[in-house]
Amino acid sequence: MSIPNISPAASPIVEAVDVHKSFGSLDVLKGINLAVSKGEVVCLLGPSGSGKSTFLRCINHLERMTRGRIFVDSRLIGYHERGDALYEMSSKDLAAQRRDIGMVFQRFNLFAHQDVLTNISQPPILNRGTPRAEALDRARELLKMVDLEGRGSAYPYQLSGGQQQRVAIARALAMNPKLMLFDEPTSALDPELVGEVLNVMRKLAADGMTMIVVTHELSFAREVADRIIFMDQGVVVEEGPARELLDNPRQQRTQAFLRRMH
Amino acid sequence: MTTPKIIPARNWGQRAVALLLIIIVALLVSLVATSRHIIWSAIPQYIFDETILDGIKLTILFTVLSMVISIIAGAILAMMRLSPNPVLSAFASLYIWFFRGTPLLVQIIFWFNIQLFIPSIDIGSFHVDTNSIITAFIAALLALSLNEAAYMAEIIRGGLMAVDSGQHEAAKALGYTPGQAMLRIIFPQALRVIIPPIGNQTISMLKTTSLVSIVAAQDLLTRAQNIYARNFLIIELLIVASIWYLVMTTIASAIQFIVEQRLGKSTNQTPGFVTNALRLMRAEGRNG
Ligand SMILES: Nc1ncnc2c1ncn2[C@@H]1O[C@H](COP(=O)(O)OP(=O)(O)OP(=O)(O)O)[C@@H](O)[C@H]1O
Ligand SMILES: [Mg+2]
Repeated sequence: MSIPNISPAASPIVEAVDVHKSFGSLDVLKGINLAVSKGEVVCLLGPSGSGKSTFLRCINHLERMTRGRIFVDSRLIGYHERGDALYEMSSKDLAAQRRDIGMVFQRFNLFAHQDVLTNISQPPILNRGTPRAEALDRARELLKMVDLEGRGSAYPYQLSGGQQQRVAIARALAMNPKLMLFDEPTSALDPELVGEVLNVMRKLAADGMTMIVVTHELSFAREVADRIIFMDQGVVVEEGPARELLDNPRQQRTQAFLRRMH
Repeated sequence: MTTPKIIPARNWGQRAVALLLIIIVALLVSLVATSRHIIWSAIPQYIFDETILDGIKLTILFTVLSMVISIIAGAILAMMRLSPNPVLSAFASLYIWFFRGTPLLVQIIFWFNIQLFIPSIDIGSFHVDTNSIITAFIAALLALSLNEAAYMAEIIRGGLMAVDSGQHEAAKALGYTPGQAMLRIIFPQALRVIIPPIGNQTISMLKTTSLVSIVAAQDLLTRAQNIYARNFLIIELLIVASIWYLVMTTIASAIQFIVEQRLGKSTNQTPGFVTNALRLMRAEGRNG
């Protein structure tokens, strides 16, 4: 497979090679190849059940793939390679690897028993050894970045969906990840709250964060994505620069999907 | 203009039943109170008897120790039961099946008589008679704790399963190890669900401990029995014991009520006293 849009100098920060995943007899991913370079924003489109979430979850090993390899920052994810075998990492090593990969979920998943400031500051305190005062300062800074200054003492159930998702983004950023994964971050939101979350994501993209975003927001993809990957039935059907793919899809399946989205 | 007075409908059926109940209760009370076979003066005489008070201490000790042990063992069993490892999970299921499926009374007698098939414990040159370790106290405590652990396991498992799976996913994605995710994220949230039934179990345990009197484990009921074996004031001492059981369960219920009130106030956050307890536990862990 050709890998477009990558200057030879920049080694990819994410590289997926022939990723397969099956649940029992159901083949969900059938050989995904993808390279994402530093600072790139890639949007993943595709019909429901095409394997977008599954692929995203393979990148931080929330899902164990059946075949293939994924590298993040040139390090093999989830396995130690010895001889011609891949040995799955210990849960401790897995945890260490995941600290560099931020993930934002469709259902926010803020820790329900902690206030906003604890949600954001506890992960770096526990998992990066950041001093408490420093982590709290950084948490307040991030809250400001997501337009929630002063809401640090609120509990998740006291916030709207849009606010919760912005806290979730701040929480992921507090770990200083090299890469951010978004799995339909606005799909669970009321329409009027989608904009505030997308705005934060725009800011992130402008700041040079590497992002892989599963989304159905075509206008966001057109505006922010460097590249769009269209997946269907576990394979990459088509990929290309955002505008090109949205305006002139070459594959029939892409055309059909985009027609349904309008 | 005057507003007319509102008179609620009268439910004659309910009133009739209520009257009947009052009559029955009054008859029963007068039957007991006027009985010439009960020596009422024995009750104030024995209620603060030293033997009885020692029995209360032991009943409370049995309750507290067996609850603490069963909560710890139950938490371990619950995690085993939820483990993807089939051997661990099968062991936990088997344990729960066995200890819930056999009568506690049988288990108490069994532990008390364990020396019948394990007469002594020999490890190398180390030798002790089982009888000298498994006293009535230990047998009673083992039986209560191991039996209660089976019920605790199910309560704790229910609490753990009530926590949304997204919480676990988020913790993993943020680089929490499984142990940290359990201690910091899952368990504190499960406590909301676990604490109310633990309260019920504790109250019920206060009374269940009376079963250990079968091996004369010196709890409240054993002491009452010891006394009436000498003076034959059976009903009187049973009344004394019952008064004390009622006092203990009433106090325990009041504590439970306060705890649950506090739980209810914080819709979703861990109640403050739990946070403080967890913080203390962690601090203890760090110190040694
Ligand atoms: N844990 C699982 N066990 C069994 N099957 C699963 C599991 N997770 C996902 N699948 C199946 O894998 C397929 C792909 O699911 P996935 O969630 O990756 O799709 P998706 O592209 O993200 O779809 P959507 O747009 O609906 O989120 C679906 O058929 C789904 O039913
Ligand atoms: Mg999905």
